[in-house]
Amino acid sequence: MPPVDYDVVIIGAGPAGSTTARFAATAGLKVLLVDKRQELGAPIQCSGAISRHALEQVGITPDEEFIHEAIYGFAIYDETGNRAVHDYRSLKPEEYGSEAGKRPLGYVVDRRRFDRYLMTQAERAGAEVWLKTEGLGYTPQADGLCTVRLLRYNQEITLRTRVVVGADGLQSQVGRWAGLQTHIKITELAGCLQFIVDGVETEGLLEIVTGHEWAPGGYAWVFPKGHGYAEIGLGVIATMTDQPARWHLDKFMTQSFFRDRFANSRILEVQGGGVPLAAPLRTQFADNLILVGDAARHVNPITGGGLHTAVAGGKIAADFLSGHLADQLPLQAGALEAYQRLWLSELGDKMWKLYGIKTDIFHNMNIPERNRQLYLTMADYFSPTSEFKKI
Amino acid sequence: MSKQQPVLFHIGWNACINCGACVAICPQEAGFVSPFDTIAVDRPCDIACLLCEQICPVDTITHERVGIPVASNGVNGQ
Repeated sequence: MPPVDYDVVIIGAGPAGSTTARFAATAGLKVLLVDKRQELGAPIQCSGAISRHALEQVGITPDEEFIHEAIYGFAIYDETGNRAVHDYRSLKPEEYGSEAGKRPLGYVVDRRRFDRYLMTQAERAGAEVWLKTEGLGYTPQADGLCTVRLLRYNQEITLRTRVVVGADGLQSQVGRWAGLQTHIKITELAGCLQFIVDGVETEGLLEIVTGHEWAPGGYAWVFPKGHGYAEIGLGVIATMTDQPARWHLDKFMTQSFFRDRFANSRILEVQGGGVPLAAPLRTQFADNLILVGDAARHVNPITGGGLHTAVAGGKIAADFLSGHLADQLPLQAGALEAYQRLWLSELGDKMWKLYGIKTDIFHNMNIPERNRQLYLTMADYFSPTSEFKKI
Repeated sequence: MSKQQPVLFHIGWNACINCGACVAICPQEAGFVSPFDTIAVDRPCDIACLLCEQICPVDTITHERVGIPVASNGVNGQ
């Protein structure tokens, strides 16, 4: 094989990109990880919830550096405030709890610290990291490799590599470079807004509020955020309301069954984002290129959660690349479809199933019936007996 | 894609929270972005689907119709 500057160049140092970089470097590949930002994780577009299992599965030790607060279960509310609670401290008291020898179910993480921590782990594993470096484009070459153009502190740099990994989030430009169909439907992208607040009590549970009245097309949430803070947010589907997410969040905070609970809240941060409640991309590969994380729409279509799927997908991508490159297999003419097949079998097929469940609910035009279905589905999804517990 | 008259987007930066939802929903090809990770505001959009205005959580994207199609050098075609 002709020489390259790097075996793999990863665009985007979020959880998916950094996890791909860490495992690829650990496997002995020469890895460059770039991110255009000066500070990872910001602006925050995520609520930060991830299960302990998801961290452990990819070798991330829960560390005080990035944990806001431990989580022990879920409370799912219907539109009127009735709730189903799955508190693992009472469901499995011998295993879950805050006492010595017991463990949390999951965590709410600080995305600035979490993303920086994962990047650091990638660097320590041998990956090279360049911040303030934006991807401009890539070109597959006749020799089977490719070039990637980067802009680093205003300086344009062209590198030769075997594979470009697009880990540049929901707004992914890398997928568009390759002409992949990355366009998401307006009915499947929730516009989300959340406030970090002081003055709202929480109880170690992730609280999910369903109901068209509060969050048409999505749901609202109240998550513990550590230090006595909480996170109140919601996502809405634009075609199901004439109002922006901010209007709905104001309404949820001032008119819902939680209005007394929120009455003394003070807003400390404002965050937002687009959250896909959609199927994974049908094509996540091109010549010398694969996508991971939000860029490949590796997001749970029921919960909108993308952290577990990002780090799990990053490991799958790195495992695939290290094997594929070690065997000197081709990188063009559809050869990287093998990555997508591996991802589907390990994670994606379940996500497609969740997408089917979600689609059935929101295709129901009878709002009270849809409310009931969403509430029951959410309550079941987070129950200890759910078949989707590990997603 | 719609055959609309091109529009030039305006973003009220005071309300923008840099969430990226406008870029995520945008059907344009790569590069129709601003340095602030929003949709481009320095050149007309010839698709004019206005999905970015619809998705914006803080309702801070507006537009004006412009008569002349997109210039090839990417500058405002007015």
